[in-house]
Amino acid sequence: MRDFAEVALDVARGAGAGYADVRVVEERENRVYVRRRSLQLIDENESFGYAVRVLIYGAWGFASSTLLSKDSVAATARMAVATALASGKARRMPPIVMAPEPAHVETCVGPCEEDPFRVSHGEKADLLLCACDAMLRVPGVVMTMGLLEFSRVHRIIATTDGTCVDTTNHFAHPMLQAVAVVGGESQERSYQGGARQAGYEFIRSLDLMANAPRWAEEAVRKCTADPSPAGIMDLVLDPDHLALTMHESVGHPTELDRILGWESNFAGRSFISPEDVGRLTYGSPIVNFTVDNTMPSGVGSWFYDDDGVAMQTFPIVRQGLLVGLGTTRETAPLIGGLRSAGCCRADGFRSFPINRIPNLYMEPGTDDSVTPDTLIAGVDRGVYIQGRGSFSIDQMRNNFQFGGDMFWLIEHGKVTKPLKKVTYRAQTRQFWGSCDAIAGRAHWKPFGLMNCGKGEPSQRMRMTHGASYCRFRNISVGEANA
Amino acid sequence: MRTREDVQALTARVLSRVSAPEAQIEYGFTRSLTTRFAENAITQNRGGEEEELRLTVAYGSRHGSSAINTVDDGALERLVTRAEAIARVAPEDPEHVPPLGPQQYPQTPSRLDPRVARMEPGAIADHVQHIIGLAGEHGYVASGLMGATVKTAALATSAGLHAFYRYSKVELSTTMHGPQGSGYAAESSWTAGDVDPDAIARRALATAHSAQAPRAAEPGDYTVILEPLAVADLLLFMAMNLGAREAEEGSTALAGTLGTQLLSERFTLTTEIDDPRLPAAPFSDDGLPSRRIAWIERGVPRRLHHSRYWARVKGESPDPSLFPLCIAGEDRSVDDLVARCARGLLVKRLWYIRYVDRKELLLTGMTRDGLFLVEDGRISCPVKNLRFNESPLVLFRNIVGLSRHGYVNNFMRLPAVMSEGFTFSSTTESV
Repeated sequence: MRDFAEVALDVARGAGAGYADVRVVEERENRVYVRRRSLQLIDENESFGYAVRVLIYGAWGFASSTLLSKDSVAATARMAVATALASGKARRMPPIVMAPEPAHVETCVGPCEEDPFRVSHGEKADLLLCACDAMLRVPGVVMTMGLLEFSRVHRIIATTDGTCVDTTNHFAHPMLQAVAVVGGESQERSYQGGARQAGYEFIRSLDLMANAPRWAEEAVRKCTADPSPAGIMDLVLDPDHLALTMHESVGHPTELDRILGWESNFAGRSFISPEDVGRLTYGSPIVNFTVDNTMPSGVGSWFYDDDGVAMQTFPIVRQGLLVGLGTTRETAPLIGGLRSAGCCRADGFRSFPINRIPNLYMEPGTDDSVTPDTLIAGVDRGVYIQGRGSFSIDQMRNNFQFGGDMFWLIEHGKVTKPLKKVTYRAQTRQFWGSCDAIAGRAHWKPFGLMNCGKGEPSQRMRMTHGASYCRFRNISVGEANA
Repeated sequence: MRTREDVQALTARVLSRVSAPEAQIEYGFTRSLTTRFAENAITQNRGGEEEELRLTVAYGSRHGSSAINTVDDGALERLVTRAEAIARVAPEDPEHVPPLGPQQYPQTPSRLDPRVARMEPGAIADHVQHIIGLAGEHGYVASGLMGATVKTAALATSAGLHAFYRYSKVELSTTMHGPQGSGYAAESSWTAGDVDPDAIARRALATAHSAQAPRAAEPGDYTVILEPLAVADLLLFMAMNLGAREAEEGSTALAGTLGTQLLSERFTLTTEIDDPRLPAAPFSDDGLPSRRIAWIERGVPRRLHHSRYWARVKGESPDPSLFPLCIAGEDRSVDDLVARCARGLLVKRLWYIRYVDRKELLLTGMTRDGLFLVEDGRISCPVKNLRFNESPLVLFRNIVGLSRHGYVNNFMRLPAVMSEGFTFSSTTESV
């Protein structure tokens, strides 16, 4: 493969490229999808392809192909050169300069104890069919859905800087959902544990069969629950829920390409400006966010990003203050960065790598004696929210509205009854500024997200978030149904 | 790019290797060029092409599938071996339907423009350069995407079905940012002649110019005039809820509404396949022939979408794709709607729409890239973006006016919709 890569890099050098890379991506995928008692899909797929990315006179070109021969690789590289020369007609000024990165030569394999591609298809299908059957046996449940997705991604990245890395990562992603109808009301309840960089051992650890009836019963219970209260009140949010809140209101606004306006046409920009780093109060003094692309089992822990930059750990928010951003080799120098933060990713060989949210988590509270019950005990009237539900945020990442998967009314320091249709709405900095308590490390939990959409053409990306339970004061609840 | 005969030979080659009694092979080919620009410069420029083969085989009601994106003897062998290995051990599927035999497809007009197929990165860059130049002349910052794509879709089954379709797509969207507001415009079509970069850029500039220095607007219920782009975003969620099975299960807002006056008499929703501007394939992904379907006529739901399995259960005929989806318009312009509006909001574009409650079809989202207060029949000022919490059922129930139709995203034909009592719940400083 190295020989093929050299063919492409030689074409790029010959055309005057200041930088070029070749990224070969080989993927295997296995999906099992059940709706009610029907195995709707069970498949095993492979894809192979490579892309040549060239930077000529400060403008990008990119071409991809699935045809692997020296002639095809050379032709693909020439196509990349042609697109770079076309880009030069509207080149950014000053021209693109890549942040330096040491040359890396390494082969790395991520965690996978039990190869999912060696687990029988029958076993996977039976798991979902049995779990869906168990949920359908709960009176009121009308539809169930189960999904298992496994993938193995093998990448080889070779650059004109001398980097040649070979990485393999496995990902496991389950989903399970019950939909109940009682009277004229319909509600859902789902598995909320997210994805993991792991093999089939992750699925075995979840005990989906044991939990499925409870989720089904809670879906039914939601149908007859009281609707959301409305007004200003306190929230206690669980780690599965906070994964999405931080994704939208911390992860995306701190992507430097958005801050620079490069996503204006689709995914939007950010309320942050580069000058805000080190100055902007993002949250209360107990709020700390950290990037850790070396996180064990994190779905964004790829050893090297698609710029060939080694994965890193660094702070984004410390004691409520914005101190870092997610950057790439292209974006970092534009704000005076000396090295990329390793946040450049593509969702496949055919996609141009872009600035992406890394593994990003909220640090647990420093007081280990603080528990979820402690947080709830401190609320006179509020809502405890579990899991992810409705989510929407404006294109500058200010105004957001979130729902959840399960809701409980808190009265006088105690959870009293289930609720349905709860939403809350806040402005990003107001929200994180209202965080007044965080449970300790024992309650911290990671959450792997597999389908973050961004870019044009749209790309899906993976990253792991994490949090402990948190309490937020004086948040507007129930506007959606007011 | 393979010819129809080449594709047929390839799918026959795959089917000849299959030992399972039932098989369906889908072939796809995509060649695309896409150029992104932002901050008045090209930021990404890519090109590539790719084939895909997806095989589904069945032994009785046990089925399995596999896909590859390289076409050589080794890959074809793996494709067949994997699909058959899965099907042999898969549990029986009570909802399995066998592959279709030969079908009679409608003679839809060609939607392949050779100019799109021949488009080069340099030509796209010229258009982008022109848009960026216009933005610079007027003191705005341009971003956007221009792309040219050619696709092939083909289907063959062990029961003798052969289907082939090739089409092109050219798309251009651009956002113009000023210091205190932005404007967006987009067009896509199968033919290059329908996409005029200069006109699109000037439309986005005009909106951006009008959108500067927005004032605050109080959240509340408003008469709204939603331009076709905004209507399309809400209609997509309604389309996702047109399933007959889900309605019968009681989990969607369309449950129990057939034959009832659910929406305004001015609202008619159909699938149309004979509009030369819309790229209607002659067949759906499952091989069913495309046809015109009236889903909602004068506000009354007449038909919900039946999959092949659900149609068999209910003794109905199965429905092909919902798209291209069309809402009938009326003979007036958006300006005419504005002129009829005593007080309301003109909405150019919506963003980040999600369910709040699936059963009620209650959605939330934001406005962006141009929101204007209308007073006494004219646009009085731009206003700051608002969050809505509303259902498309309310939007289409409370219609007080429709414009002539426009085309959105190459698969919808829609008018602007003027409707009363649309709920906005909060505001934002984001512009």
